[in-house]
Amino acid sequence: MTPYLQASAVEVSFGGLRALNDCSFTIQQGHITCLVGPNGAGKTTIFNVITGFLKPNSGSVTFKGQPLDGWKPQAIVAAGIARTFQNLRLFVDLTAVDNVLASLPGQTGEEPLAAIFRPFHVAAAQRRRREEALAILDRVGLSARSGDFVRNLSYGEQKLLIIARVLATGAELLLLDEPASGLSSGALEDVMALLRSLRNDGKTLLVVEHNTRVVQKIADDVLFLHQGHLMAQGSPETIVNDPALAEIYFGGAI
Amino acid sequence: MDFWFSYIALASIYVLLGLSTNLLVGIAGIFSVSQAAVFGVGAYIVAFFLMNDITSFLPAMAIAAVCCIALNILVTLPALRVSGDYFVVTSFGIQLLATAVFTNWTDGTGGANGLPGIPPPDLAGKALEESWQVVLLCLGGMALGCLIFWLVMRAPFGRLLRAIREDELAVAATGKSVLRAKVSAAALAGAFAGTAGGLYATFLSFIDPSSFDLDASILLLTMVVVGGARTLAGSIIGPFLLLALPQILTLVDIPTTIAAAARQLIYGVLLIAFMLFRPQGLAGEKL
Amino acid sequence: MLALQLLCNGIVTGCALGVVAVSFSFVYATTKIFHVAHAGVYTLGGYVAWSMLGHGFPTAVAVLTAIAAATALGALIQGLLYARLERRKATHLVVLIASLGTLAVIQNILAAVYTADILRFNLPWGAEVFRVAGNVRLTMTQLLTVVVSLVAYGGVMWFSNGTILGKQIRAVASNPFLAEITRLQPRRVHIYVMAIASALVCLPGILVPMDFGLQPYNGITPLLTATIAMIAGGVGSITGAFVLAIVITELQNMSLLFIPGEWSIGVTFFIFVIFMLFRPTGLFAAAR
Repeated sequence: MTPYLQASAVEVSFGGLRALNDCSFTIQQGHITCLVGPNGAGKTTIFNVITGFLKPNSGSVTFKGQPLDGWKPQAIVAAGIARTFQNLRLFVDLTAVDNVLASLPGQTGEEPLAAIFRPFHVAAAQRRRREEALAILDRVGLSARSGDFVRNLSYGEQKLLIIARVLATGAELLLLDEPASGLSSGALEDVMALLRSLRNDGKTLLVVEHNTRVVQKIADDVLFLHQGHLMAQGSPETIVNDPALAEIYFGGAI
Repeated sequence: MDFWFSYIALASIYVLLGLSTNLLVGIAGIFSVSQAAVFGVGAYIVAFFLMNDITSFLPAMAIAAVCCIALNILVTLPALRVSGDYFVVTSFGIQLLATAVFTNWTDGTGGANGLPGIPPPDLAGKALEESWQVVLLCLGGMALGCLIFWLVMRAPFGRLLRAIREDELAVAATGKSVLRAKVSAAALAGAFAGTAGGLYATFLSFIDPSSFDLDASILLLTMVVVGGARTLAGSIIGPFLLLALPQILTLVDIPTTIAAAARQLIYGVLLIAFMLFRPQGLAGEKL
Repeated sequence: MLALQLLCNGIVTGCALGVVAVSFSFVYATTKIFHVAHAGVYTLGGYVAWSMLGHGFPTAVAVLTAIAAATALGALIQGLLYARLERRKATHLVVLIASLGTLAVIQNILAAVYTADILRFNLPWGAEVFRVAGNVRLTMTQLLTVVVSLVAYGGVMWFSNGTILGKQIRAVASNPFLAEITRLQPRRVHIYVMAIASALVCLPGILVPMDFGLQPYNGITPLLTATIAMIAGGVGSITGAFVLAIVITELQNMSLLFIPGEWSIGVTFFIFVIFMLFRPTGLFAAAR
């Protein structure tokens, strides 16, 4: 059986620094896979490689057996992989619903000719897409804030909105960069529940997460990255309870 | 009366140019000092077709618009490929090159002396001889331009452009092509500039390189900066205000020898002042 | 014979534009500002020197005053405009438009005061002609241009690699954040950079018009050539900018054998397009 997502011997270096070093792993469809490791382990770099923002020096990534080498970000989203950013990168001057609308694929009127020559058709299509966007906002629990500008949303709401935005792309594999960091305990529970329900709906999630409690609660599978290399892969219990990994993770920090 | 006719007609034409510059600079975020060059190409093309009696007015306008779309895409493509700063060089280079062509290609453009005797525009086989008819035509062109701008900006295309202006990387991450959207904006900007050029040539019946030089490009930029980036209102207010400026200057009794310099000096001061104190212009959004 | 003369003229103008390119590159590499108004500083220097000479001051006094004026103008542009915009987190586009506005202001003040007509330096010693290798004629001004430009280039190389301030500037250029936390004070360094670059650009700003005459709007074409040289030579490389300015001016001058002079802007631009297509990072770009 072809693996769902597979990274093989990915190498990335910036100047003299090796960000990813012979990095190989596979991800199973329908799982929540958590990507853990100390700062600078290359977690965000692997996101950048998978989503086509960064070209690896060598190695490759295959998605459902298809190599993604040299693909542009938009082609990779179209293939079904979408990502979020650690620093969110929401469109702060747009409303919540417009943030979602801006990410829905294949809209009529997204190029000027249709907008000019078929204005009524475009407006009608927009009404339908707006319903769709509102449904997505409802899915993440933000339907009450749909008309609010992003800058007026709380941090927790912004983190939910970023998930709504990545859902809007229609991708089946979602790469989430620290979706739970910096949240209060209540908001944390909301996000974890949302992630689990997304998995139950058939999405596959690859999540960068630092909080071991969160990892234990949501992960089906954990990848431990260290110095750009996959150190270990396994169930949350084995990874969290491995003293050697804990030494690397917390070593010196406590 | 003549003064008001000419003011309204010219302001209408410059609103089209303001929309064009706004699409490029305000919305696509591409610094440009070469929109006057594209404007000039539109003007010379329409003049050429009408003076040699090759086509009537509307087909000539369509040809000019298509040529300017192609030209603007060609001109802005490097800006989208290479780093933004290098495009400053491209933009200056294209403007200076265009001025060189307008001035030195005497057979095609009449050189520095310009092209006199451009026939008036015609619609449905009837020449618009009266000046009020031409003024109406220019107003109609402006209205059409504004309508198109409004339609485009309220459609998903407009939202996409706004999102790009905020965060290109995030747009790319949602699977949209930033390049394609910017090229579309540049194409539309080209169509506006070309149409404006055709109206300008037929309204004045005379064109020369001085209307399409670097100073003209700076004027266009000033109009957008003063009016305000990215809004319809800004693109209308800027041209109407700045075209009134030369008239105001005639009241201040400045020697004619330095009038041109004084005008450009004011544009420069406006550019600096607005960037420092009001980068969103009078009725726009932040640049 | 004409070819040889054009070759020599090309080296002369190329050296002068090399200094423009080096000074522009100095600003760009450090502050990341595409300092279009540099063309205005260049032009101002020539006008100040011309007026001082016209009032009967000795050449040395005129040149020093011009350099002082240019230096002050550069520091003012940085301190009053660019630094403020930076504090307000202005976008790149905003800074660029403000710089263009500054250029328009400088040029048009000069045009209003001195008119847009061409002004010529009246220096008997400058027109003294030397014959080199047969029929090639070089004036005193031209020889002086080459010497001053080479000295300026050498001075920048020495300054940037051999002095503490020069090293600090390179540190700020490579990492402004790091420079800030190590108390190098990038703001102050930026003012120094603009002052030094403005003083430098004043030299060709005086020497080139001694040959070709002064006009208020004449700064843009040299700046365009200089920026193309900077990009073609590789941003950050002083030698690259200087050498490429000479090469480009040389190509432009030699093209006069085949193409009329009014199209030389086309030749310059063509060279730029070729570079953009085939070597967008420049010839002397530091290896990553």
